[in-house]
Parts: sequence; C-alpha cells; structure tokens
Amino acid sequence: MYSKIKNQFATPEIEIKRNDLSKVIVKRDRLFELINLLRLNYSYVTLNAITCADWIEDDHFALSYILTTEDRKHTMMVQALIGRDSAFDTISHIFKQAEIMERDLHEMYGIKFIGNQNLKELSLENWIHTPPLRREFDTLKFVNENLTFRDGRDDNVDTKVETKRLRALKKAKKLAEEKAKDDKNGNS
Amino acid sequence: MIKMETPKHITIFHGPQHPGITGNMSVELDLIGETIQKATTHVGYLHRGFEKLIERRTVIQAFTIVCRICVPEPDPNEANFAMAVEELAGIKITERAKYIRVMVLELSRLSAQFLWMAGQSGSIGLYAVGQWAIADRDLILDLFEELTGGRVYHMYVYPGGVRRDLPNGFLDKVTDLLIYLKERMNLYNDIFINNASFKNRAIGVGIIDKEEAVANGYVGQVLRGCGIKADVRKDAPYLIYDELNFEIPTQKAGDVYARALVRRDEILQSINILEQVVSKMPKGDIMIKMPTHRKFKLPKDDTWVKVESARGEFAYYMAGDGTEKIRRMQVKGPSLIHGFTLLEDLLIGAELSDVALIMNSLGICPPEIER
Repeated sequence: MYSKIKNQFATPEIEIKRNDLSKVIVKRDRLFELINLLRLNYSYVTLNAITCADWIEDDHFALSYILTTEDRKHTMMVQALIGRDSAFDTISHIFKQAEIMERDLHEMYGIKFIGNQNLKELSLENWIHTPPLRREFDTLKFVNENLTFRDGRDDNVDTKVETKRLRALKKAKKLAEEKAKDDKNGNS
Repeated sequence: MIKMETPKHITIFHGPQHPGITGNMSVELDLIGETIQKATTHVGYLHRGFEKLIERRTVIQAFTIVCRICVPEPDPNEANFAMAVEELAGIKITERAKYIRVMVLELSRLSAQFLWMAGQSGSIGLYAVGQWAIADRDLILDLFEELTGGRVYHMYVYPGGVRRDLPNGFLDKVTDLLIYLKERMNLYNDIFINNASFKNRAIGVGIIDKEEAVANGYVGQVLRGCGIKADVRKDAPYLIYDELNFEIPTQKAGDVYARALVRRDEILQSINILEQVVSKMPKGDIMIKMPTHRKFKLPKDDTWVKVESARGEFAYYMAGDGTEKIRRMQVKGPSLIHGFTLLEDLLIGAELSDVALIMNSLGICPPEIER
C-alpha cells in the first residue's frame, strides 16, 4: 500500500508512527483522490476526525483527515498543507459526519469549506472577531480590550500590599520587644 | 412557538434548562402533535476555550485543564494527554504506572456508567435507580479522593507516570468495593434492566442501522449495540490491556435497550478487569525522572492517540513545535458526531417523551463538544 501511494502520489512523506498509526502528507489538490483510494481499495471506511494546526510562521494550516479501517485496527492520518486564507472543498458528500467537523473548523479557523451548506455558528454566539484558534488571535489582548474586571468587595485587600503591611507590623513589634528588654536590663 | 404559516407545527426547545437533557445543550424540536419532524442541536452554553488556552501553556500548566474537558469522566482526557506528550517526547513509563493507570481508567469508567444509569433511569421517571446509582458512584469517588485528593477532577495521570503511589491498604479497599458492586448489579438488574417499565419504553426505540453506524464514525455503545465488537482496548491496545482477559459485550437490536444491556455488561467487564489488575499489581517506581517542567520541550511533530472511554473512543490530536508550549491539542470525543450527525437524524419520527431516553443512551457530553 505504502509503495503504491508513494508512486502514485509522488510523495516521500509516509511516516509510520506506531503499529496502528501512519501519517501521509500529500499535496492539497490530490488529498481527496488519496482518501478515496484508501477508502475504496484499503478499507479505510471511517472518517474519525478532521484536525487542524496553524503554522503561522510557514503561512499554512496543516489539515489532517483521520481515517480508520473497517476492523478499526489501523489509523491513517492524511495531511495536506493549505494556505491560511484559502478555501477548501468539503468532504461531507462522502462522509456525512464531516459536515459538523467542518463547521467546527470554519468557526475556529475561518476555513471556508466549499459545498458545505451548514457552516453556521456552532458554539460562539455572534462572534465578530478573528476566528479564535488562529495564532494571530491573542487571548490576553482580547480579554484586556473587551472585558471589564470587577473591583471585588469593598473590604477586598491586595494580598501583596497586605503581606508587606503585616511583615512591617511584625518587624516593628519585634523591635519594640527587644527595645523593652534592653531598657529593662539597663534599668536593673 | 406555533408557526402561523403551518399551524400544525409547534417548535419547542428541549433544554438547556431541562432535567432530561444530558448537560448544557438544547435540542430545537419541530413537532406535529407529539411527533418530531425536525431536530436541531444547539451548543455554546459551556464554551471555555480550553484548546486556545492550552496554546499559551506549558505541559504542566495544560495538565490542570484537560481533566475539565469532560465532567462525568475526566480520566480518559488525562490518559490521552499523557500518552500524547509521552509519544511526542519519546518517554516510556514504568510497568507499575501502567497498571495504576488502567486501574484509574476502569474505576473512572465504572463511575461514569453509574452516573449514566442515574440519567437513563431518571429520563423515564425511575428515580429510585438514580438515587441508588449516585450513592454507589460516591463509593468510587471516595476511593478517588483517597488516591488523588480529588473526587471528580483527579489530575493524577501525569506524563511520565502517575502523581502518587497507592496509599496503604488501597487495593484491599478496591477489592471490597468490587465485591459490593457485583452484588449490587443483581439488584440493578431487578430494579432497572429487567424492569417492565424500562423495557416497555426502551425496546424498539432509537434504532440505529449497523452500516450507517460504521460509515458515520459512531463509537462506543452505539456500535456495540448494533453487534459490532468495537473497543479501542482490543482494536488498538494501549497500556496493558493486551495482557488482560476480558470480553467486549455486544447486542444486535441497535435500540436504546440494547445499548443499556451493553452498558450493564460493561460494568461487569470493568469489575473483571479491576480484579485482574489488583491481583497482578507489580512493585516498582510510579514516575520516571522528567525534565524540569519549565525546560520540557516537545519536538516539532504531531500524533493521534486514543483510549476507550465509558462512552466510546476518545481521541486527541497533539502537535509540538520545539518549544515549551503545546502548539495544538484537538479533542475528539464521541459527542460531536453523536450530538449532531446522529441525534438530529435519530429524533425524526420519535415521540417527544422519548427525546431524553434516546439522548441518554447515546452518551452525549456537551462540555466535550465545545471544549
């Protein structure tokens, strides 16, 4: 199987990660051809997940389609690198479950899956900012700019200030005790 | 809401504030009378952005988050996280750590199955079963508290092994609990599984087609209830599952009752596995020497790991980028596909009163859909 994939798809990138897991990197325009080959000829009939990682420094997303054989004993990770702002074809016409996976990735990365009719919002309501799992989305900056912090209760104390104050009190008390002891010794 | 253009149709929301929903989610139902014409799942009530937060954290910092991804069953998350980090960093753990991990995972599976029993029985009004099951689950949580310090979130399975060794006499306590739970299962059979009120409601409801189940990537009891022997512990064994002797229970009917029978048998198999683990528990170290966490870097590589949770295959995709931070961690549990692709289909033609029953049988956990 591996030699056929290497010859047919001119890809040297086949990595056997474990006994039950291999990874193939293929050009984006031949991804579905490879998935169909695996599905029809080698019994990789189940699509378990579509995963995405943002490699912003290389200006691409690594999109992985996780396929499992019918007996569930082997998993193939078929990966394609796609431009961070390019659209990509849907695979929901082959695998029904891909529809919801693509909807999730569309929301989190902003990837437009052409042909998927159901790319509406999933868990983010009325989100108008950068899709949150893109690397340029800075959570800390977003929180500081968009959320307000409560001051807390009126009797709330800053622990750092309070610790300093208590230490100073303790020190002063100790000095006073020593001074009193010295005075007592001096008087006697 | 009554749709005025077609006055027969009524749209109602089942959840998120509803005792028959499996968590913070809702299903929008279009009804004619009590029969469902269309179902649409809505999530978003519990999105915490864990996958994004983890990108900013080191391994030890991310470790405290992962158990919170699924509330009823946090340990498969910890196991997946640890296995992914270990695989990327090339770490091998000790034999004793493997046994302890299997023990924790099986105890966690038992506790999740009892929680399911409470939900499933509650969905048809058998509240006594729920109270029994929650009380019995608490006995398992007591053991977790003694072992890890936490009842629900354990933060115990850490990359490199496990955090603490077993307390004195812990294995005896596990054995005592297993004897007790085995006896209790006979009573659960009488009050719940063989109860005519449950059988009448569950048999023939929510039937799933076998071929469709495989093609659409359904997992766990949904597959096993259709007669497919799917279980990651047997199909792609991890830890020491290949050294243990246990069966994968299956049923053929594919309905709610078949899935309940599968779960009942799985409880007995988990007890069987735990008995073997307790009797074979080796001596030795529980944790290998790990790099200082601030200097612990994951290489630029990615992987896909999976374990069998109480609800089916639970998998993680993890990518490192050569720094101390995790570049990407993506969670894939059973709930995303079961909660959308499956549930929206299965509810069409079902009765309104069966919605909670069907949902509970699929093992949908909304916190894991939204992460």
